[in-house]
Amino acid sequence: MAKVSRAWGPLSRQAPLAVMVALIGACNLSAQAPKITEYQVKAAYLANFGRFVEWPNSVAVAKSESFNICVLGQDPFGADLDAAVTGETIGGSRVLAKRISRPQDAVDCRILFISSSEVSQWKEILTALRPLSILTVSDMPQFARRGGIIQFLLDGNRVRFDINLAATERVGLNLSSELLKLAVTVSRSP
Amino acid sequence: MLKIRDYSIKKKLTLMNMLVSGVTLLLACTAFGAYELATFRSTMVQNLSIQAQIVGANSASALLFNDAKSAVNTLSALKAAPAVLSGGIYTLAGESFAMYRRDTGGHSPPLPPMPAGQTEEHWFADKELKLIRSIVFQGKLIGTVYIRSDLQDMNDRLLRYAGMVVAVLSVSLIAAFLLLTTFQRAATRPILQLAETARIVSREKKYSVRAPSTDSHDEVGLLIEAFNEMLVQIQARDAALQTSQEELEQRVTQRTAELDAMNKELQAFTYSVAHDLRAPLRHIQGFSNLLMESFASQLEPEAKTFLQRIGEGTQQMGRLIDDLLSLARIGRQEPRLQATGLNSLVQEVLRDLKTETEGRDIHWQVGELPFVDCDPGLMKQVFYNLLSNAAKYSRPRKPAVIDIGQMSVEGQVVNFVRDNGVGFNMKYANKLFGVFQRLHRKEDFEGTGVGLATVQRIIHKHGGRIWAEAEIDKGATFFFSLTSQNDGRQTANGHEGGKNGYDKRT
Amino acid sequence: MVTTREHEEIGILLVEDDPLDLEMTMRALQSDHVKNSIEVARDGEEALDFLFCRGPHSGRSPESQPRLVLLDLKLPKIDGLEVLREIRSRPETRTIPVVVLTSSAEQRDIIETYKLGVNSYIQKPVDSTQFRQTVKAAGFYWLVVNRPPLVEA
Repeated sequence: MAKVSRAWGPLSRQAPLAVMVALIGACNLSAQAPKITEYQVKAAYLANFGRFVEWPNSVAVAKSESFNICVLGQDPFGADLDAAVTGETIGGSRVLAKRISRPQDAVDCRILFISSSEVSQWKEILTALRPLSILTVSDMPQFARRGGIIQFLLDGNRVRFDINLAATERVGLNLSSELLKLAVTVSRSP
Repeated sequence: MLKIRDYSIKKKLTLMNMLVSGVTLLLACTAFGAYELATFRSTMVQNLSIQAQIVGANSASALLFNDAKSAVNTLSALKAAPAVLSGGIYTLAGESFAMYRRDTGGHSPPLPPMPAGQTEEHWFADKELKLIRSIVFQGKLIGTVYIRSDLQDMNDRLLRYAGMVVAVLSVSLIAAFLLLTTFQRAATRPILQLAETARIVSREKKYSVRAPSTDSHDEVGLLIEAFNEMLVQIQARDAALQTSQEELEQRVTQRTAELDAMNKELQAFTYSVAHDLRAPLRHIQGFSNLLMESFASQLEPEAKTFLQRIGEGTQQMGRLIDDLLSLARIGRQEPRLQATGLNSLVQEVLRDLKTETEGRDIHWQVGELPFVDCDPGLMKQVFYNLLSNAAKYSRPRKPAVIDIGQMSVEGQVVNFVRDNGVGFNMKYANKLFGVFQRLHRKEDFEGTGVGLATVQRIIHKHGGRIWAEAEIDKGATFFFSLTSQNDGRQTANGHEGGKNGYDKRT
Repeated sequence: MVTTREHEEIGILLVEDDPLDLEMTMRALQSDHVKNSIEVARDGEEALDFLFCRGPHSGRSPESQPRLVLLDLKLPKIDGLEVLREIRSRPETRTIPVVVLTSSAEQRDIIETYKLGVNSYIQKPVDSTQFRQTVKAAGFYWLVVNRPPLVEA
């Protein structure tokens, strides 16, 4: 692993995760650095959530070619998400970023970020996703309460999240306690 | 400086053994201690490494999701390890992400660099054990854990160990000492006994003692055996020596007794012979005188001459007997030494010679003679013989000059009697002092041939030397010394001079 | 050859064993003044027999003792020293003058005889002339000059 210098330069392409973490670490949003945007952080999180999730075997076998992180609705990440997943692998599979327009297209997604633009369709999306073991993430309000798994929060300057554990169980996912402990709230409401 | 060399064997053995025990124990303890230390250190490192790994693993998500609080939480578990001074999670950039410190205060220590190619490194420095470990999550390096531990445990352990070593050593040495004190006796007792025996032997010269033998067949046993054998031999030799000494002494005593007896016999014999020879002489002389007296008128002149010859013969015999007797007497007695002025002796002798030398023209030149330790009677005899000789043999001279004096020869006082008489041929000088030896005809000079022998015997009895030098018709000089010492008072304790005969002056 | 004159005064008892010495001594004594009778004993036994009137002399009167004893020391049977001792131990003979006439000049003999009370010790001169003179002088002195004690009854 290349040692990362302290110089706050542009994102290096050599070790994206490392860079990301370094940036995250360095920049506890203390304001010297070139600004790291909220969605850069969220993108990094998205890229990392997958590491703390256990998919049921059926999914794992079927979707072994790539690990897809999909965005449904209006893409707030843009290039940030692509940058975040470049060169990453999770469980031996390449991580790819996809944008989809319909929930039915999420069949080969592992993680699905539902953009706030879909807030009104959430119920239908949820139903459509029910047979699929997908980790749903969004930053729309009440996401977790409304059946989403991970809900992004902003705690002051920091990006945090809530987790709906019941929702994970419903879709047959297992979340690592390591992730759970970081959540602001872990709820079990259905 | 302690003379360790002079310590007793017991002390030496004990010291040696204790030294050996102590050293070996110390070495062993040191080795074990070093091993312990090494093991402990590696254990410490291992423990710390494990802690770092655990912390790292548990902080991975915190790092990834930038949850410092969670990381701090994880780190706080380090509290359970009281030796841990600090534990910190550092980002890839090397910046402190979360920190645990045992003692309040202080700053986050800077992250030491990780050597290339390693995921872990540790150092023992500044009285600490520092360990860094890369946090690798799912194959990716995401940060570093840096843990610092103090060495208190190790130090405590070391101290305990040292204490134990000291205790063990002390106890062992004491035990060794006690054991040695008991067991060395077995080893040293025979040696000590041997030494004691040797001491007794040399001090009291008793060769009948023996060193108590041991049952062991080791070198000491051998030594004791050999020693005892040696004593046996010495004893035997000693006894043999004693015996031969006694024998010798016996023989010496015997011989001396024999010699004494023989001497006495000889003396008695000489004496009685001389005495018994006198009586017939008297008769011969007496009756021939009576014959002369009573029958003078009836005797032819020739007969009278014959009677005269008989008389002369008996007179000569009488003189011979007298001289022999005197010689024998001198042989018997030991000189009784006293300080004597030789001059007074000479004067006496001159007086005695007055009748003999009546009517003669003799110049006596008497020099200063020394005072000596001698037997005055015997020395008087010496002078009498020498002076009467001198007078006799210088009869043809008118005047006869007789010198009596002393001189120094090689630091020794020598007396002399010199005459200007007829002298003698030095060729026959070795016969001068022989008994009955004469160098002149009887009809020229009467004499028995015993006078000089007597003089020599007396001088020899005083431990001195006598010799003579002469020239025919020029006279003779007789030299004698009474000792072999230097000028001054002479004492008669010198060596025996040469044999009967001529003593050559060196 | 002892002649006994019972009532005559006996002058000298001469004790001598050597015949020649005896003859010479007698000749010396018998010249000029010494007219006394001379009794001769040839050994110590004879001398004592004579003096104490025993043995062959048992008929002698003990009162007539010699006026002088000339005693040689070297005698057979009983020697001179013993004779002297005897003479000096008996009252009847104790006071008789005894003169030892011997060839010995040993201090030993001289001392012993004087211890025993000899009156005079003469060594027989070797020279015969001297011998004669000495014997005559001794005889003269002891018989004429010297005053013997009166014999007590």
